[in-house]
Parts: sequence; C-alpha cells; structure tokens
Amino acid sequence: MRLPELQRALRDSLMGLPDPALLESIEAGALSAEERLNIYRNTIAATLLKALRLNFPAVEKLVGADFFAQCAADYIAREPPRSAYLNDFGAGFAAWLAADTHAATLPYLADVARLEWAVSRALVAETPATPDWAALAGVEDALHTQLRFIAHPSVTLLALESPADAIWQAVLAGDAGALASLDPAGPRVHLLIERLGADLSVRRLAAAEWEFAHALCRGMPLAAALAAHPELDLQGQLALHLAEGRLCAWHLGGARAASGLTSVPDLSEQSL
Amino acid sequence: MGPAHLQPQPAPVRGPLPAQAGIGLRFPHHRAVIETHPSVPWFEVHTENYLGGGTSLDCLEQIRRDYPISLHGVGLSLGSTGPLDARHLKRIGELARRIEPALISEHLSFSLIDGIFLPDLLPLPMTEESLQVMSEHVLQVQDSLGRQILVENPSSYLRYRHSPIPEWEFLGALVQRTGCALLCDVNNVYVSAHNHGWSPEIYLSALPLKAVREIHVAGHSERTLSGGRRILIDDHGSAVCEGVWNLYRRAINRFGAVPTLIEWDNNIPAFELLQAQAARAGGCLAEAALHAAA
Repeated sequence: MRLPELQRALRDSLMGLPDPALLESIEAGALSAEERLNIYRNTIAATLLKALRLNFPAVEKLVGADFFAQCAADYIAREPPRSAYLNDFGAGFAAWLAADTHAATLPYLADVARLEWAVSRALVAETPATPDWAALAGVEDALHTQLRFIAHPSVTLLALESPADAIWQAVLAGDAGALASLDPAGPRVHLLIERLGADLSVRRLAAAEWEFAHALCRGMPLAAALAAHPELDLQGQLALHLAEGRLCAWHLGGARAASGLTSVPDLSEQSL
Repeated sequence: MGPAHLQPQPAPVRGPLPAQAGIGLRFPHHRAVIETHPSVPWFEVHTENYLGGGTSLDCLEQIRRDYPISLHGVGLSLGSTGPLDARHLKRIGELARRIEPALISEHLSFSLIDGIFLPDLLPLPMTEESLQVMSEHVLQVQDSLGRQILVENPSSYLRYRHSPIPEWEFLGALVQRTGCALLCDVNNVYVSAHNHGWSPEIYLSALPLKAVREIHVAGHSERTLSGGRRILIDDHGSAVCEGVWNLYRRAINRFGAVPTLIEWDNNIPAFELLQAQAARAGGCLAEAALHAAA
C-alpha cells in the first residue's frame, strides 16, 4: 500500500471503518493488529473527549459524565476536528445537541452549550491592537450613518430561548437551590459574552440594546443598526461601546464578518 | 517604586538552552512559577496550548522574561502525505516571533489525513516514500520559521510489515537530508524498544552524535492484556522509572550533557516533585560532564 492510501486506511480504521488491507499491512506479534489499533483509538477518543469537557463543563454536569461521553463520541464520529488547535474543536457541538434525539429532550441544553462555546471563544480570543479613535473625528458628518465597526474578537451576542446564563452559573457553582428555582423554559434572554480586559463577562442586555449591539458587531452601517430602534440614544449607545472597548476598528467599506477579525484586510478600510 | 506596570521590563532571556534539566510547563503551574520564580533552568511548553490569545499566552509571555523557553509541537503532522496545515504553521511562526524560543521541536509521525486531525502521534512506515515526505515537510517548516527544528522519535505501538529502514537509521537520514536536529526521547526509545523487541542500546548508538540537541525523559505505564502479554504506554503520567534513568545515563554518556526535559502531562503532580525529578536528571548531567572531562 502506498503511503497516501495507508494513511487514509489508518484514519478510517481509527474512526470505526475497518480496512482488511490495513490489518494485513500491520505486524501482529504478541498483540493483534486490532489490539494495536485500539491503543491509538483510546488515546484519540480520550483526548477529544477531554477537549469537549473543557469547553462544555456545564453541559457535562447537566447530563452526567456517561451521557456526555456518549454524546461526545457520536459528535466526534460525525464532526472530527479539522485542526491541531483543539481549542477550536466543538464549534458544532451545540447545534448537534439541538438536533440529537436524546439530548433534544432537554431543550435548554443546546442553549447552555451555545453559551459555553461563546465563553470558550472569549477566553482564547487574541487581544487586538489598541485603537486610536481620534481619527474618527475626521470622518465627514454626512458619512457618519455609513460607518461600520469591527467587534473585539472576544465578543459574542446570543439571543437564547432559555435562561442559559442562570442555568450555567448555578450548575458550575453547584447551587442546586438556584437550579431548582429556575424555569428552564423561562423568558428569552439577550446575552453579551466578552473578555475585553483580563476578566470574562457574561451579562444580559435589554432586547433593543442587544439588537443594536448585534447589528453593530456584525458590521452593519450605523444607520441600518439603528433603523429597528429609532428610540435608542445613538450617541450614548455608541459612546458606551467605544468606551468599553467592544469595537476595535471602523471603516466605510462593504459589509464583512466582524467577529474574530483582528486585522483589516483591504485598502478601503481604515484601521485605527 | 512606581506602579508595577511602569517598571521597566527586563529583556527576555535569549540564546540556547543551558545543558541542564528543564521542566515541561503545564497550566496548573503557571501562577506558581510567576509568583514564586522557582529555580528551574528552562521550561518547555506544548506549542498548541498557546496558539490563541488569553490568559495562558499572557502567562507564557511573563514567564518568558525570566526563563529560556522551548516550543514543543504535537500538531504539525510532518509525516502527512498531503500539504502541511498552512494556517497552523503560520500561527506557530507568530508564536515563535512573540516568545523567541531557544528551540522548536516536532515529531516523526502524522496526525492530519485529508483534513481530519486525529490527536495522536500516528506511526509512519519506515520507507523511502515516508523519508521523502518527512524531509520535504521538515525543509518547508525550517524555511518558513527561518531556523533549524528538532524532530523527536515517538513511542509506537504498531509497525508495518513493509518498513525496511530501522527507525534510528531513518532519523539519521532525515538529519542528513534536511539539516534538522534531533530530540531524543529516551522514554520513547525505552517504550518502543520494549513493544517491538528492539535493542535500546543499538537505537541510541546509531543516532548521529552531534544532531541530538535535547533529551526527554518521562514516565510510562504498563498494560497487561490477556495471556499476560505486556505493552508499555507512553502516558507521561508518572515518575521516570529506573529503567529509563539507566538508559538516560547511557544516552548522555554518548551524546554529552544535552538539555534534558522532565515531561509529565497527566496526573500532574506538585511542582516540587517535578523539581525533584529535574534535580535527579541534573545530577546525571553533572556526572556525565565529569565523565567526559576525565
């Protein structure tokens, strides 16, 4: 077997698709080829389970270690990691939980997973260069409504059907009383998750403020971000986001995904 | 004294690793190292743990001011037949610019197959085809990083029927073709030699003498299967065993006093125990230096 075929056969075999030709190509000796492959399977499974446990500790506490391990194994088989940077592993876990027939009996579970993924993103987000907002004063007044912003890479805004933040806090604190008093089908929450300085912050916003921040952080022009809520104090809201460091660059160009973008990739933009 | 953040920062320690025993730095010990500044000649970290931002990278940058650092990667997958993960290599380059490590090392293995990453050091058949793949990738990494890298011998649990080149000769040929250096993991030599019936002494004596720039020692575990069959597993979860210490002494008698790392990644113990293991390795290094001088 040539090397590319052998590597694919080994990958398939380690992921549960046995390949008789691969077994033939492995020296058996005191251990069978399958026993030898199992050593690698165990390490891979344990490493990936650990990566998911680190990213989703509250989900694991909610469902218990055994059920979590089963969910993790199913998820790993369907969406194995694409990169050696395992902090990025688990992006689809919340969506997978929402779709899984067993996990879907706990509808708040996927919301807690969405929150934990946002927390994980915030914890490993890179720190962008400190912007100098003074140059913003040079933009003509007529263009102000066309300004678009790029969010700090740690920022995620989530609108969730269940009070996932309260569930998450109670579970991680081991506060059974708080957990018992919660209505998991409770009111929709609008969350802002970020790490702008040293500390992680998870907090609720009013719906209108959240929608404005969400539009702003997605890179929509100011005018469009404000259109749905003309009652908001534009100056006050924008000043707050700038002062708190939630926005890290501005431009007058086309729309682009804001979250996670730390450099400004084309000349039509102005990075501060 | 002014506020701490206004104090001038000392310049980071630069230059090669001292030929002393360092410690593998893991997250649970970050805070203690920063606060107590223990007497450790150098630290090694897993590259992949610092590729994002956040607290861990902040800690490493602080620790870097006072200690030489070695970056030890587990994710470049030098032995993959496909292209290297360009984004991963770029991130390693960015980290290296930030940390200015004394050494950068990776493994003789593969993990990435057609875009799927399996987090283990999967074994290559020791063939000319594998040697070409490894050589091309080592040259590409060295070119991208602008420096020599070290390649480590892995522990392995299977061999292929068609694997005509002994692993130790394969490593020698890789050094010749690429100018890379070697990280000789003595525990991995011990584990693989046991699992495949090799002679660890032949392994060590065949490695090119001047290419070995770092040594790893670590703990392993023994698993007994049905019928009393035994296999050694390189799990970095315990103290270095006497057999590995003995092999380590032979290694440094041959390679000289080479910077040596205590690796301990699972069931991570109190920092003092790691220091005690490093002190033992340091004693062996001092003995070897005396032996060489005699």
